[in-house]
Amino acid sequence: MSIPTQEILVDARGLEPPEPMEKVLQTLDLLRPGQSIRLLLHREPFPLYPLLAERGYRHATRMEADGSYVILIRPAGENR
Amino acid sequence: MSLQAGLSFEQAPPFALPLRFFLTAPLFLLAAAGLIVWAPEALASRWAPQALALTHALTLGFLAMVMLGALLQMLPVVAGESLPAARRVAWISHVSLVLGTLALMTGFLMAEPAAFGIAILLLGGGFAVFLAAASISLARAVAGVTVNGIRLAVLSLAVTLLLGLALALLRAGWWFPPAIETAIAAHAAFGLLGWVLLLVIGVAWQVVPMFQITPPYPPRLARWLAAALFALLLLHAAALLFFPAAVPIVDAALAGAILAFAVATLRLQSRRRRKLADVTLDYWRLGMASLLACVVVWLAAQFWPAWADSDAYPLLLGVLFLGGFAVSVVCGMLYKIVPFLAWFHLQAQLQAKAGSIPTMKEMIAERRMRGQFRLHLAACVLLAGAVLWPQLAIAAGSVLALSALLLWVNLLSAVRRFSGYGGRFS
Repeated sequence: MSIPTQEILVDARGLEPPEPMEKVLQTLDLLRPGQSIRLLLHREPFPLYPLLAERGYRHATRMEADGSYVILIRPAGENR
Repeated sequence: MSLQAGLSFEQAPPFALPLRFFLTAPLFLLAAAGLIVWAPEALASRWAPQALALTHALTLGFLAMVMLGALLQMLPVVAGESLPAARRVAWISHVSLVLGTLALMTGFLMAEPAAFGIAILLLGGGFAVFLAAASISLARAVAGVTVNGIRLAVLSLAVTLLLGLALALLRAGWWFPPAIETAIAAHAAFGLLGWVLLLVIGVAWQVVPMFQITPPYPPRLARWLAAALFALLLLHAAALLFFPAAVPIVDAALAGAILAFAVATLRLQSRRRRKLADVTLDYWRLGMASLLACVVVWLAAQFWPAWADSDAYPLLLGVLFLGGFAVSVVCGMLYKIVPFLAWFHLQAQLQAKAGSIPTMKEMIAERRMRGQFRLHLAACVLLAGAVLWPQLAIAAGSVLALSALLLWVNLLSAVRRFSGYGGRFS
């Protein structure tokens, strides 16, 4: 049985620090196996990266044409 | 940018280290307010001993107190490594700033040479320790517009300190320095437009776009303004000594630099992405409006010599710059720094599940911060009024006292919440 990949969207564009971080940490607690987070942000969240690593998650960051960022977050053990 | 990249729990000093500065500062604001109520002549002439004691309660006891605490928190992040002997530096600079400021105020109020002697030793020693530690961190820091602003601010602090020590030696009766009037003017200029304004400017490049979610400052302004302001301060001192006729021209350029910063900041703030109410934003706006008012008051003095020669003119400038601009911006920043650090240390110490600890916004009730802001605004208006109508002085001092007390209570509420959730201070 394959677990369907689900993405939880966290749109934190225009939120004041550290609200984006608070939202991501909150969402991590709700994450079920196979699920990942797609974080939208108006700037690159450098302080978030060490917290993700500490908690066993990896991330991939992409800058969009409008200067905002998309960060994909998933457990370090999972593929894809 | 380096400031964001380096925010890690390992580098950050324990909460107690900066917190002692932040919780002491409102008490000096309260002392300043008490001084106005007790001796309303503090607002009658800038040379009155009470006015000098009041000025230093505000600049050293409140402003420098918060700025030192904030820098001790920020420098490790800027430098990418812990401050050398951070705990000892914090302890020495805090204790000597508290006692040194009290000694200096006593010296002015009692015209007591021995008190000036004690102030010289304490403030000279305490600031020297802080400046040494800050220099090491700033030398290691990666250059950027914020780091450059902080470097020039700290350099200005050193100049202000040296001039202040020389002037205090005069009051202590130990030395009769040359060119006293120039030394006083340069001491005030480097202290207010150098240390205070340059630090606010350097921090603004980072804080306004990040926390108020505005577009960035124009890059050319960010690159040149701090250096231009510092160069003008040097020119200002040189003109006072060697070429007094040029002073108004240098002053005009300084006013232009201040205007550029205030207008740029207000414009950015009007282009926020989400127009949510925020006390810190209101404090910044009050601060920038006060800077504009300073420029207007200065401009008026260029055209009306009678106004320029009045006792009220320098006092009004002082009230607008210190109360309206500097105290406002610092209060606004305290309402971000203290809740942020409380939240930051809690989540790092407890590795807590989100939702089990308060968010940053829940650390201090918005309603109470808003109430304190209104009191501060009223105090600023009354203080400016008291410069022109002395009978307002006692009311102004009383409202300022209430505002200082509420600031302290509000900051303490975040600290209580922090320890209530099991946060450790050291």
